[in-house]
Amino acid sequence: MEAATQPREKTMQVKIKIWRFDSQTGERALKEYEIEAPEWVTLLDVLDMIKDQQDGSLAYRKSCRMMICGSCGMRMDGAAVLACKTRMYDIVQAGHVPVISAMGNLPIVKDLVVDMEPFWEKFKAMKPWLQPGYEEPPEGKEYRVSQERMNVIHKEALCINCGCCVSECNAMESSPEFLGPQALAKGMRFVGDARDGATVERLEDYSDEHGIWECTRCYFCNERCPKGVDPRDAIAKLGAEAVKEGIDRDMGAKHAKWFIKSTETTGWLRETELVPKTQGVISAISQMKFAMGLAKKGKVPLPIPPHVAENVDEARGLHRLVHEQGRLGYEGIVQGEGALAKLDHHLREEEEEEEETT
Amino acid sequence: MDAKHDVLVVGAGCAGMRAAIEAFDAGADVAMISKIHPTRSHSGAAEGGINAALGNASDDDPEAHAYDTVKGSDYLGDQDAIEILCNEAPDDVYELEHWGAVFSRTEDGRIAQRPFGAAGAPRTAYAADITGHVLVQVLYEQVVKRDILTYEEYFAWKLVVDDGRCQGVICWDLLNGGLKVIGAKTVILATGGAGRLYTGTTNAYACTGDGMALALRVGVPLKDMEMMQFHPTTLAPTGVLITEGCRGEGAYLLNAEGERFLKRYAPNAMELASRDVISRAEQTEIDEGRGVDGNVLLDLRHLGAEKIIERLHGTRELAQTFAGIDPIYEPIPVRPGAHYHMGGVDTDVWGLTSLEGLYCAGEAACVSVHGANRLGGNALMETITYGKRSGRHAAEWALSNTTVTVPEGIVTDAERELRELLGRTEGERPWKIRDELARTMHENFGVFRREDQMQRQGEIVAGLRERYRTVVVEDKGTLFNSDLTQALELGFLLELAQCMVVCGLARKESRGAHARPHDYPDRDDENFLRHTLVTWRDGPQLDWKPVTMTKWQPQERTY
Amino acid sequence: MKQVAYYKGCLAALSAKELDTSTQALAPKVGLELIDLESVTCCGAGDIHEAEPDYYLHLNARILAYAEATGSDTLMTICNVCTLNLRQADFMLKGDDALRERVNTNLAAVGVPPYSGAVEVKHFLWLVADGEGFELLKASAHKGLKGIKIAPFYGCQILRPSKLLGFEDPDKPWSLERIIEACGGEVVDYPAKVKCCGFPIIQAREDTALGELIQPIEQAIEGGADAIVTPCPLCHLSLDAWQSKLNAQRKDEGLDPLQPMPIFHLSQLIGVAAGLEDSELKFRRHVVSMKPVLEKLEV
Repeated sequence: MEAATQPREKTMQVKIKIWRFDSQTGERALKEYEIEAPEWVTLLDVLDMIKDQQDGSLAYRKSCRMMICGSCGMRMDGAAVLACKTRMYDIVQAGHVPVISAMGNLPIVKDLVVDMEPFWEKFKAMKPWLQPGYEEPPEGKEYRVSQERMNVIHKEALCINCGCCVSECNAMESSPEFLGPQALAKGMRFVGDARDGATVERLEDYSDEHGIWECTRCYFCNERCPKGVDPRDAIAKLGAEAVKEGIDRDMGAKHAKWFIKSTETTGWLRETELVPKTQGVISAISQMKFAMGLAKKGKVPLPIPPHVAENVDEARGLHRLVHEQGRLGYEGIVQGEGALAKLDHHLREEEEEEEETT
Repeated sequence: MDAKHDVLVVGAGCAGMRAAIEAFDAGADVAMISKIHPTRSHSGAAEGGINAALGNASDDDPEAHAYDTVKGSDYLGDQDAIEILCNEAPDDVYELEHWGAVFSRTEDGRIAQRPFGAAGAPRTAYAADITGHVLVQVLYEQVVKRDILTYEEYFAWKLVVDDGRCQGVICWDLLNGGLKVIGAKTVILATGGAGRLYTGTTNAYACTGDGMALALRVGVPLKDMEMMQFHPTTLAPTGVLITEGCRGEGAYLLNAEGERFLKRYAPNAMELASRDVISRAEQTEIDEGRGVDGNVLLDLRHLGAEKIIERLHGTRELAQTFAGIDPIYEPIPVRPGAHYHMGGVDTDVWGLTSLEGLYCAGEAACVSVHGANRLGGNALMETITYGKRSGRHAAEWALSNTTVTVPEGIVTDAERELRELLGRTEGERPWKIRDELARTMHENFGVFRREDQMQRQGEIVAGLRERYRTVVVEDKGTLFNSDLTQALELGFLLELAQCMVVCGLARKESRGAHARPHDYPDRDDENFLRHTLVTWRDGPQLDWKPVTMTKWQPQERTY
Repeated sequence: MKQVAYYKGCLAALSAKELDTSTQALAPKVGLELIDLESVTCCGAGDIHEAEPDYYLHLNARILAYAEATGSDTLMTICNVCTLNLRQADFMLKGDDALRERVNTNLAAVGVPPYSGAVEVKHFLWLVADGEGFELLKASAHKGLKGIKIAPFYGCQILRPSKLLGFEDPDKPWSLERIIEACGGEVVDYPAKVKCCGFPIIQAREDTALGELIQPIEQAIEGGADAIVTPCPLCHLSLDAWQSKLNAQRKDEGLDPLQPMPIFHLSQLIGVAAGLEDSELKFRRHVVSMKPVLEKLEV
């Protein structure tokens, strides 16, 4: 921490625990630290003070301390945060002693420093550079794109590569080769960019075994992202665009398309046929034993007689209208972003309404 | 030698990456060294925009841009370098857009441009208030596309000089430990500024003037070192940046009495006057008791929630997180903070220094395009245009069949020095020296400077340098030893501080960011229309260099 | 009695019928009068949200519109995924006049009443974890759970994204624990209670899903739990029906099978504490036998 404590500045006693680790020796230990710090400090400031004054061997990354460089991702009580964004005052007031550890899903080098190599490898696997799909713009000037069109990737462009989403990804924890929220969000940054001409190739690439359809939809990434990128939504946008482009061989896509078909025919999900429709008849047959186990308990409802909702024609009609109106692919998600962003804005509308009535 | 390249770029921010891309495209074997991952570079924290006479918001042309820049520099800028910047800027910005930079757009889909300080026309192309972030991303994408080799988390410690040429860099491998020697036919320093010399700075922890110190230590002169820009709108206490873009969108600066005080200092341009003018105005208001807890107030309320959320979303987030203020409802308390170093390694218009094979570009360099004060939006432009130019020149020179030699002795000397430093157990921890340096620079070499304070600061820095000789690195290990690299960074800062003070004392006038209202309140073109030049020979030795003038004669500078 | 529009979703209607019957039987005991919704479809789950998001919006707008038409101010769900889907659609429509107008025009064109944002979507869990619902729950749980150990499993989409759900802290939820204790059970706490069961990819990426699924089950076993309780029928399906797959995988790896872990639907857990009939609870429909825990409950 670089700002010296000013005279008469209010201070507080900060206690934290840090998981120390040395990948060379394999030694791992939970150490507790206590330090007097100004009330305005962040977790990063506290780490700096501890490193300066108590233990110079404490290892962590940092740079901008203003939530833009993405260096200081780490876990506090098991949840990934940016250390520079985490104010300590409320935590100290609550008497809580947070446990600080390295981000998850990446090998730990030392203490809070993880090996980012796998992270960057996945990033690079997305071919994250513009592949212009246009002839040179006239007079060598800029390609003309409306602000509205650029807003399609407004959120994905916010990503600072901090790794908080990757740290918490449940799918990646189970399947380490899953491309993951950060890489796929970067992929969407290009799929949604009007100037990029490689949409179809990208969607084909991203639809592989460890791509779009391996996302488990746990929404941890949306929850943890410190910049509001909403990677899960970026993945959903990719899925929508893939289906729109007819890139839907993946079981995940087939699974989704059966839901659509179900709503148009019986209204409710036609569960029994879901397995063969998703996995193919042969694979479904190989699941026979498993299916029988479920069937014995009545968990495999017979498709006949069909369980049909009332007025399913309304759903069919809506589906037709939706297709006519052509807001297909990621547009269906982007169209709601303005409204959902309002939930983040925390505008004092309620307060103002109260003021008006009194 | 652990590796050898045609072009070695030290620092991977906007200037470094742009230089590397250019060198690659020119056919050179190029590599970058960076002590942090490239996208962590502080270029990414730039917010407001990048200047070019695109003419999208109004009629504009490069000459007008050049004039504003010359005037903004308080006539210390080298006009040939400035003209080059302004002429090449539009194409350089279009190139970024072609590569995919996510700019904000006008109604008719062109790159949006906003008004910025001291600019006669709105020419600051922007991406909301995260322009630096957007540029770092697009440049890194282009680096990845070309698969440019990057020695990531390698700390550049010394330049290798042999046979009158720069021949490479000695680094400390921060991630895994160990000294590494990377030979190169040309080296481009693109290591940014040195805001960490001050408490209350917009700069990242990484901004410790590494490249400038590296050059200084091999006898390369530094220019205009006394010129440190204090950005008018930074958050107390640590100096987090609140973009000039706020004022570009129409925000007001108020004192404790709710007065838009700039009408008394810059009645025409008001909040869009030049940064040095505004910082001085603010400091005066604060010093004369019209501040609020040592700040003035940046009022965005009248802009309305929609505009703030659309164009200044990052600003709102910063104000909420670090000041507990929502700018939609309350003004933001701000004060001047060390932000940008106009001074740096003396280069020509191709980024070449006085040492053959050594180049410098971006904030670390002093061409000089900014003279005594930089316009907002020109820094990002300089990184691109001069990054490109130095990359090309270095590549072309390197491709002309030269060898690389790294003398054995240089490496063993470095190893011995490192062993001595790491072996020391008795002494002082760096943080006390570091904090004292920053605090005293803030007090004695800030917005306003006085002879006696500067003299005292020179002595203080000398004392700190003496104490630094027994600094102790607690972490003796090899894995991610940032304790070591932070100690080495402090060494860089101390030498740069010594140079700055010497130059500050020598410039007996007020010009741009160097303000001496008590002893030399006026600009003295007759005696001081020239650059300070400092070379290290057992301490800073001062010299002078003339300013190149092409079209414009110095005029009185008012806004 | 509080009138609520009752959206049971796909699974409760078919393969998880036990969830529907137990909910319907329990509802009056906790002060809820359920108004059935006939003219609705599947909410689309994460699947339609991902594959055809505009269609997803319309399907959910339709469900919300029909719920509004009942005159109730609450649409009660019994599935996490339905809850998130409906609430997300609701926020999208509430926050964007032009979007809402467009969707309403489309709804009208096919004969659906308009959406005006008059209902709030709430999971049954929220209605009984707090307020009057909780008071009635406490009063109705007269048979109690006799101190059996229950491991709560929340399931992702009742907690995250928290800005869309907002009932409790997604990292430190309390509703299930409170209910377990109010019903006389003992809570088994464990880290994976807020993690993913893997259901969304259990077909398309089975191995990955099983790698997630095993965590709550193993941790519940380690914690000495007699059973797991979950508010989501999709989580229930994977936790219950896919245990056999977990064991098949373990057999392939030369490991012993897991100790069977019975899985309660939330309404069944409260229901058994409130003395509901077997015909209402329908435990026999579970793949993993509920016998061991029911014996402890002397049921």
